[in-house]
Amino acid sequence: MELRRFIFRRLIQIFVIFFVILTVLFLLFRLAPGDPISRMIDPDMTTEDAERLREQLGLDEPLWVQYVYYVRNFFTGEFGTSFHYGQPVVKIIWDRLPNTVLLFTSSIILSAFVGVFLGKIASWHKGGKIDSVLTIGALVTHTVFLPWLALILIWVFAYKLAWFPITGMVSEEVWLDPEAGIVAKALDVFHHMALPLCTLFLIHFGAYLLIMRSSMLETLKEDYILTARAKGLEERVIRNRHAAPNAALPVVTSIGLSLAFSINGGALTETVFTWPGIGRELVFSVSHNDYPLAQASFLLIAIVVLLSNLVVDVLYAYLDPRIRY
Amino acid sequence: MERDGHKNKTRSPQLERFLEGWSIFVQNPLGKIGLTLLVCFGLMAACSFIPPLLDPMYDPMTGVDPLITRSVGPSSAHWLGTDFMGRDILSQLLAGARVAFMVGVSAAVMSILLGCAIGMFAGYMGRVVDTLLMRTADMIMVMPTLLVVLILSSLFGQLNIWTIVLIIALFRWPGVSRVIRAQTLSLKQRPFIEAAKVAGASHMRIIFMHIMPNVLPLAFLYMTFRVTSAIIIEAALAFLGFGDPGTVSWGMMLQWVWKTGHMFRAPYWLLPPGLCISLITLSFYMLGRAMDEVLDPRLRKEAEAE
Repeated sequence: MELRRFIFRRLIQIFVIFFVILTVLFLLFRLAPGDPISRMIDPDMTTEDAERLREQLGLDEPLWVQYVYYVRNFFTGEFGTSFHYGQPVVKIIWDRLPNTVLLFTSSIILSAFVGVFLGKIASWHKGGKIDSVLTIGALVTHTVFLPWLALILIWVFAYKLAWFPITGMVSEEVWLDPEAGIVAKALDVFHHMALPLCTLFLIHFGAYLLIMRSSMLETLKEDYILTARAKGLEERVIRNRHAAPNAALPVVTSIGLSLAFSINGGALTETVFTWPGIGRELVFSVSHNDYPLAQASFLLIAIVVLLSNLVVDVLYAYLDPRIRY
Repeated sequence: MERDGHKNKTRSPQLERFLEGWSIFVQNPLGKIGLTLLVCFGLMAACSFIPPLLDPMYDPMTGVDPLITRSVGPSSAHWLGTDFMGRDILSQLLAGARVAFMVGVSAAVMSILLGCAIGMFAGYMGRVVDTLLMRTADMIMVMPTLLVVLILSSLFGQLNIWTIVLIIALFRWPGVSRVIRAQTLSLKQRPFIEAAKVAGASHMRIIFMHIMPNVLPLAFLYMTFRVTSAIIIEAALAFLGFGDPGTVSWGMMLQWVWKTGHMFRAPYWLLPPGLCISLITLSFYMLGRAMDEVLDPRLRKEAEAE
């Protein structure tokens, strides 16, 4: 029950923060130098359509009325029409969201598990050769420049070796083929996802490995480990069942803290691999002055970040029974 | 004997502490590698002034080899080859080192001073000021800085390099301010602050004259990590095509390779800038970790126990 109250309180907080972001974005879009009207209305639109949109957005009204319209439009899901695609922004965003969620969550989960596992190994062999190799490997992959890594992976594995497709998420011949079953389609997506996933995995797992390693070394000094040893338990059992689960908690915290970093990386990866996700859409819309789409993508990313933080907090409470909110 | 004792006393305690820290730092392999790499990059930045003096065609931005109109591989005139319009890649790489240091260090210093000021105010003032500042910090902390800068550059048009630095600094202070706030909260309880208050010092004076000297060293511990993130954000921004068009940064070079479709054809052009960005972040990161170990005795003990 405590947890439920905590979630409720956090949801209210998230709502407030989101409202602030919404308002700041409104002010930025209206008060930035240049004509705010041209940012809302597609220059290619017919006069009647433009007139209708002006009315809908309240562009001729005073600023605070525009703000009321803006908030109302947000909550009714009315984001306007993309200049570039000529489709409602909401539709584009909903199309892209699953792709981003797929790539993003699978990369985080994969890198967290591998990072924890390798961190554990590194701490067993502390000071040894395996430890040095893992630690240095983690430092190097963690600090490598992401778009460059992506380009190198494309160059080697997609261009030279031709194991994977260079860009995109699906190949048309599979998806347009009426014979192709769901398995073939899924395999096709995974084939396209391999390199972007690999890029994100390489960038992220190092941080988790380093955290797990030092947290594991810290945990092994705790009294309950001494107790376990005194009971005569096997060293392997002590490490895997007594130390590791507790040592993994800081990894969970760091997933939450590094979320903003991961989102940046996600957007870069999507852009280099032309993965049809929200991050790429944001980069694309910004470079094509597609303001309605840029605004909506940014707001959606903000919601994703805020909610994922909540998920991490709840996960933490679930994993660590000592935490009570 | 006595003279020796006297000589030791003349060394100030600060110097003593610094030398002790330095000897621990130098023993740390991470610190050594990081520092060596940084010195190399420093030399690169220093050398960046030389090529344009030799011949105007070596100017990283405007210099074009009159005999070359496309990207060619390494030769005796161009050690790393040229880019798509015949500009020398090596001189661009050297100029990039200068830009990386400039961006990284200035953004880091700004964000640390800002974080320090805000952290001290929040911790010292308490109550409403504290709550407001710290909630703002929480909010900024969860924002992906790169995407925020992207949105801003869509609204304000092409940003110049100093605006980019400023925006990075404005979005990277919350981490520092939290640590400084915690430190200030404990300092506030110390007798010397009480004494300053009784002596009639104003809040401003207490914050800047009495608290700041005590928290600033701690703040600068965070500097190396801020440098890393500033360099990465600038490089990523330039890579996506939103950098300052008047500056040759490594991110910009990668953007040129990528956008002109040379990534499969010109490894001599694709590899160096990315390698430089990765290595400079690695070296600052290693330096930061080594400094952590120098300043956190708990970690040092662990190393000594081995």
